[in-house]
Amino acid sequence: MIDVIMKLATGYRRSVFWLLTLITLGVAAFIPSITIDTDPENMLPDNNPQRVFHNEVKETFAMHDMIVVGVVNENSVYNQQTLTDLHTVSNYAESLDGVVSDDLMSLANVDNITQEGPGTIRFEWMMKQPPENDAKARYIQQQVEDLPLLYNTIVSGDNKAAAIYVPIESKDESYALAEQLRDKISTLESGDDWHITGLPVAEDQFGYEMFVQMGISAPLAAAVIFALLWVFFRNVRFISAAMIVAMSTVLITMGALIALGFTVHIMSSMIAIFLMPIAVVDSVHIMSEFSDRYREKGNAKDTIKDVLGHLFTPMLFTSVTSAIGFYSLMLTPIPPVQVFGAFVGSGILLAFFITVIFVPAYVCALKPSTLESFAQVTHEEHKDGWLQRLGAVAARHAKLWIAFFLAVLAFAWFGIQQININDNPVRWFKPDHEVRIADEVLNDHFAGTYNAYMVFENTFDATEKARSAVREALNNDALSAKSRDALNTLLEQDDVNFNQWIIAIDDLLFSVGSDQLEPLERLMTELEQLNTASKAFQSPELLAYMSEMQAYLQTTGLVGKSNSLSDVVKTVNRELRSGEEKDYELPDNANGVAQTLLQYQSSHRPQDLWHFVTPDYKRSLMWLQLTSGDNQHVTKVVNAVDSYIQDNPLPANIEIDWAGKAYLNVVWQEAMVEGMLDSLISAFVVVFIMMVLLFRSVVFGVLAMLPLSLTIAFIYGLIGWVGKDYDMPIAVLSSLTLGLSVDFAIHFIERTRATFKQTGNWQDTLAVMFDEPARAISRNAIVIAIGFTPLLFAPLVPYITVGVFLASIMAISAIVTLIMLPAVMTAFSRLIFPGGQS
Amino acid sequence: MKASFLTAVSAALLIISGQAIGAEKSARDIVEQAELNAYYSGDDGRSAARMIITDNQGRQQMRQFTILRKDQQDGGVQDMMIFFSRPADVRDTVFRVVKQVNDDDDRWLYLPDLDLVKRISAGDKRTSFVGSHFFYEDVSGRNTDLDNYELVSESEDSYVLKGTPKDPGNVEFSYYEVIIDKEHMLPIESTFYNESGEAYRKMEVLKVETVQGYPTVTHSRMSDLTNGGQTEMQFRFMKYNIGLPDSIFSERSLRNPPAEWLQLRD
Repeated sequence: MIDVIMKLATGYRRSVFWLLTLITLGVAAFIPSITIDTDPENMLPDNNPQRVFHNEVKETFAMHDMIVVGVVNENSVYNQQTLTDLHTVSNYAESLDGVVSDDLMSLANVDNITQEGPGTIRFEWMMKQPPENDAKARYIQQQVEDLPLLYNTIVSGDNKAAAIYVPIESKDESYALAEQLRDKISTLESGDDWHITGLPVAEDQFGYEMFVQMGISAPLAAAVIFALLWVFFRNVRFISAAMIVAMSTVLITMGALIALGFTVHIMSSMIAIFLMPIAVVDSVHIMSEFSDRYREKGNAKDTIKDVLGHLFTPMLFTSVTSAIGFYSLMLTPIPPVQVFGAFVGSGILLAFFITVIFVPAYVCALKPSTLESFAQVTHEEHKDGWLQRLGAVAARHAKLWIAFFLAVLAFAWFGIQQININDNPVRWFKPDHEVRIADEVLNDHFAGTYNAYMVFENTFDATEKARSAVREALNNDALSAKSRDALNTLLEQDDVNFNQWIIAIDDLLFSVGSDQLEPLERLMTELEQLNTASKAFQSPELLAYMSEMQAYLQTTGLVGKSNSLSDVVKTVNRELRSGEEKDYELPDNANGVAQTLLQYQSSHRPQDLWHFVTPDYKRSLMWLQLTSGDNQHVTKVVNAVDSYIQDNPLPANIEIDWAGKAYLNVVWQEAMVEGMLDSLISAFVVVFIMMVLLFRSVVFGVLAMLPLSLTIAFIYGLIGWVGKDYDMPIAVLSSLTLGLSVDFAIHFIERTRATFKQTGNWQDTLAVMFDEPARAISRNAIVIAIGFTPLLFAPLVPYITVGVFLASIMAISAIVTLIMLPAVMTAFSRLIFPGGQS
Repeated sequence: MKASFLTAVSAALLIISGQAIGAEKSARDIVEQAELNAYYSGDDGRSAARMIITDNQGRQQMRQFTILRKDQQDGGVQDMMIFFSRPADVRDTVFRVVKQVNDDDDRWLYLPDLDLVKRISAGDKRTSFVGSHFFYEDVSGRNTDLDNYELVSESEDSYVLKGTPKDPGNVEFSYYEVIIDKEHMLPIESTFYNESGEAYRKMEVLKVETVQGYPTVTHSRMSDLTNGGQTEMQFRFMKYNIGLPDSIFSERSLRNPPAEWLQLRD
């Protein structure tokens, strides 16, 4: 293998350079066709049943993605100026292309129902024209407060905020639409505060911030790494080799990702910054060794051959273990995390490949004078006294250290118990970001801008009964051939569409002679009864059940407000009767409900009904407005409903299921936690097996796993103690830590064994280990740790979290490796180094 | 009184605008003739209507009802009763309308299962007719005095007129174009345009039959051009000049439908 590499480095040097350049440029050419994906929904695969259900519900009940425009007036929005502005913005929004104007909701386009004298009910627009004065504005206030579906939804309960819900056809247009709305708002003269939020806006903003992150953090990481290498090696030509490896690895990996048609999600946008520091690590090893050995050999070719002979296996193993850490992420059921794991893992292997082929060729191409000065400079470096002391301290108090590590483990154990699994895409923005501010302000005033939908479904299927009623009618001899044909045509249909069947029989009834009337009329009556019976959500009992559940949810304090078909029916019924609170109740029977709803549909917005029920009345949606989108909050709501159903069983044939963005977040976060545990365990097992094979020893295999186990436990324990929420970036870290920090142990153990073979004595071995090998390990730790720090300057919270934790994990695991391994080796030296004199 | 005043004003305006006189005058004549043919055929009439409401997801609802109508005066006040028969859960729901020319219509409603008669006062007539894409105003007829008309074009078989509301604040359209078929002098297509000049709503006549000498629309369709969805309305069993007594257009008939006049099979 090494001979092949040396042949390439010497004989085909130009080809190596050209090939690397061509491949890099060729694959990188795909980068401009990048597609950004900011939809948190994509955390779940396309075919995830709950995601499919969510989208089906969204479509069925026309619950579009919404831009929420909010206006806040610290006194009250019910004044002429604010309402006039609201009217202007609402009408403007309605006129925009890409807005579903039918479903736009604001004071300016909803209906009002009032009493107009005894026995008379009045239907009219709530605010067709802006109010002429403040008194008229206050009249609107009274009207809104009387309508439960509007109150605390389009105007806040404290009257200080009003909202315009702008449904949009496609999320892709949300940024452009939000911009148009901002422009319009900027022309208003009042001093009110306007906010624009809503998930589509947040997502768009997020995509933009991701570009910023990639445009700033990745180059910054490159600069930081370059500076660090300069500090270590002080030779631009030399460290350029490492930078070329890093650059081509990043460009090829990202190019391949995009060329293969993957979208760039929040996770994959971090690929560059992950690969950059990891890719230079092997080069750092080669350069360190090269500078040490060049003096002896005095010739680049021989030196590099010697260096590779030493390093090839450990570099291969560390690359493979790191890759495994990342590949294990593919076991999580979250596509963006899988893609991230797959490409970083492959990127690491690619970096190894490029390093072992390109770096030797590059070094052999350098002039001897350059190499000479490189070896000179690096060799003059003073010895790191603190490393020596660290080794001595570790060995001297071995038992004390072990006790300390056990204490840390206990500390971590209790911390892990307290881990809080929680995430919320809005929190991915920093607290001072306008999206977060708008979110807070609007949730402060309103009943909640986070939506969860509880979908009730009637599973009773009248299809078979309808078919058998038709078959029954066919048995009647009175029917003519023509009538029979008509009925048989119905039976041939796959689905029973009651409307169509009733229309068909109605047509038949008017075309036949009086002798056929009896069977056909009987069939008609039967079908009508079945049709009425299948309209479950006209049943007052079922609607009452929903109302009671809503009342219960309100008492839990978890739900800001809930809206259901039951509220619609009660409100219309109240107005039909007297307009007084005492009549805010459900009609006595299903026909009464149907007639109430016929009235509701005779408005300017008949389509509003279909947000709450399907036209066949077989499914109904209860809309829960939550003030928090944290998945813990949503989970509590789901649990509250579950326990309510436990105590108050659902009516017969009724099932419920959940949809809504806030609920989907719970789904993927649960999947993430379970998936991460799987991926961590499997990575752990695979890496352990590799260690046993590498060292051909179970004892050393166990030893290699110790530092990283303690590091991972400590980090997660700390997260538990500190109370930082366990969110997506935190979850991803475990496997990464495993893959990266085992490298330190591999190098340490490999070198320790080699040294022990020479010295045959643990004390001497220890002294040697804390010279060059410990320096190489700490250097690498520093490169990786500092390489991640540019993430601290990223505009989005998940990047910062990853930056902070990875930097500290690398630092901690390097220190743990350097203390723990010598301490344990000292304490158990007889077991670990049998045959040597202690 | 008010009408004649308006006529006087518009006549004055027409004289001022000189050349336009002929055009506007004939445009208004055309519209008024069409209005009479569409809504005032005979002295009274009965028809059975069926609406199929299809939303933009293709989901359907059905409404079936019988209309009894009696004109107090051609082009003027009109009595109307609408008796619902399907779906079964709204059966026997009844609307009573007294169409006024210069004032809001009088409307009453009977909901049998709430045992309730209610008088309805509507801010405007451009609300959905029982959840369909037709408005109340489409069913009862929009008063021609509410709009100004101009003749946009004329072909061998039709006129195209443009109607512009006199009070734009009261309606959701900024103008509409109506095609009037010369043969029957019936509106066969109306397209409504919003402020940005986009067509968003369209009524099309799909079938005209001549009943007792009166050309009658028996199948029409109203489409929502912006958000999708449509309602088809079919009329059957039309009969004119059946001699409906005034007494059936009363509150009493809301609770006790005049069965003999609602019998469709002869």
